Amino acid sequence: MINLLRSEWRKVTTIKLGWGMLLGALALAALGVVAQVASNGVRGNPALSLSEASTQRSIAASAGSAYLFSVVVGIILITTEFRHFTSRPTFLIEPRRGLVIVAKVIVAAVVGIVYGIACAALTAAIMAIWFAAKGIPIGWTSNGVLLSMVGDLMVIAIFAIVGIGVGVLVRNQIAAVIGALAYLFVLEPIIQIIPVVKEAYPYLPGAAAAAITGSTRGAATHLNAVEGGLVLLGWGLFFAVCGWILTIRRDVP
Amino acid sequence: MGGDAHVGASVSEAPATVAGRIVASGLTKVFGEVKAVEDLSFTVEPGSVTGFLGPNGAGKTTTLRMILGLATPTAGTGTISGVAYAHLPHPGRTVGAVLEATSFHPGRSARNHLRVFCAAAGLPDKRADEVLDWVGLTQAARYPVRGFSLGMRQRLGLATALLGNPGVLLLDEPANGLDPEGIAWLRGLLRHFAEVDGRTVLISSHVLSEVEQTVDRVVIIARGRFIYEGKLVDLEGASGGVVVRTPTPDPLSAALAPLNVKVTPRSDGSLAIVGATPEAVGRAAWQAHVELHELRAGSSSLEETFLRLTAEPGTPPAPSPSP
Repeated sequence: MINLLRSEWRKVTTIKLGWGMLLGALALAALGVVAQVASNGVRGNPALSLSEASTQRSIAASAGSAYLFSVVVGIILITTEFRHFTSRPTFLIEPRRGLVIVAKVIVAAVVGIVYGIACAALTAAIMAIWFAAKGIPIGWTSNGVLLSMVGDLMVIAIFAIVGIGVGVLVRNQIAAVIGALAYLFVLEPIIQIIPVVKEAYPYLPGAAAAAITGSTRGAATHLNAVEGGLVLLGWGLFFAVCGWILTIRRDVP
Repeated sequence: MGGDAHVGASVSEAPATVAGRIVASGLTKVFGEVKAVEDLSFTVEPGSVTGFLGPNGAGKTTTLRMILGLATPTAGTGTISGVAYAHLPHPGRTVGAVLEATSFHPGRSARNHLRVFCAAAGLPDKRADEVLDWVGLTQAARYPVRGFSLGMRQRLGLATALLGNPGVLLLDEPANGLDPEGIAWLRGLLRHFAEVDGRTVLISSHVLSEVEQTVDRVVIIARGRFIYEGKLVDLEGASGGVVVRTPTPDPLSAALAPLNVKVTPRSDGSLAIVGATPEAVGRAAWQAHVELHELRAGSSSLEETFLRLTAEPGTPPAPSPSP
């Protein structure tokens, strides 16, 4: 298992993809913080009280938007094997395919956590400088800002695992990436407003993530962060098991 | 059995537990309605280079994928050293394989590609540089595979297969894209593996002439079915086959059936028989009281024999030059 983890980790670090996606995730997180602080009370935007705990947590949640990148990285990590047929030497050297998927899921989660830590650190740094300039203290622990960031980390890591599962299900790389993003950006917001169907909305992956990070989409969910975390963990497990079963049952391309 | 060659018969009854022996037994793969491989049985022995031959689409790659555990057979089994691939104790160090499509991430360097699999197989990283040196890619080691020619990719594929210093090599179309110098180099390497090291080497090709100087034995398939298995020299002996002319072809075909030969009508009305000597055909005809007007050894080339063996049913037989 250690050998497989080393092999899978090398696959991530020996191509440029991982670094490019990390830059994208950092940019999105920074944009989130800057947009929220800069638009505060400007040109008709509602003026938030920056000293309020919920506002501080909401700004810190910008780091969580990196989950969009971690799900894509998860998808690409597995679909790139099918696309370039590296799945063949991989499963020739380790024919116990389930172990390979376990290693991939662990590595994807670690990559997600690395992304999450980087994004949280950047978010915290920007917040610290900005709030210091305005002379407003941040309640890192008293206002639950740090805890909110830990939640972000979890969301990002689980979405990387979800990406692995999606990539096994939909082996076509482009179809899988577009499908996942279309689901999160288009389908879930639509489900949110359809009567009856919207009752299920809080239990969908994107809504569960929103419940954890406390982002604005969380308004439509009645779950708290812990419940959202459990729901999202369930989705991560579901996709990991789907990927595991399908990889064992289907022929290697 | 007619002659020394096994035509139309399998020899998979031999014990399978010899180290390095590859045994396909009744391998069948059905994709939807299409039978890609049907009841295919053959044996590949260590210490020899075996050519796995058949036209494009004959089912060679599918067969190799089943033996390597990448595809699950619809029926039958494939074993290496007596066990299914998935049950080999150290598959990465027992079997080296390259399948037709090149299996590299274009953005990864040759050395990093090999190091990824060194890690998976539990081999030291310096092994990557050793195999790169073997296949002559040391200069290109640091560059992304994206810029590699087909010949360089073939060499890198071979390097990947050799990482674990395996006793069994399965290479799908390894000569594809190699220049004549590369083919000569590959031939020397594979001959050395088989003759000096006693390894099992199975190479597939759709062109017999490409491998005829490399292989000792051949397994020929067409349309997913077994056609011929035996020594290349026996195929050469049978290469012209036997040409007979008889007013009653049907009783003759019936008389030859126990010999497991392949009987094909020729354009001039005579019959071409592959897989038996003229003596065996003459004896069978005499025993069955079939009248013969002509009985002689044919003289077509090895490649013509291969084409005739693997020809689609219904296509006109390849023209045979007169002796």
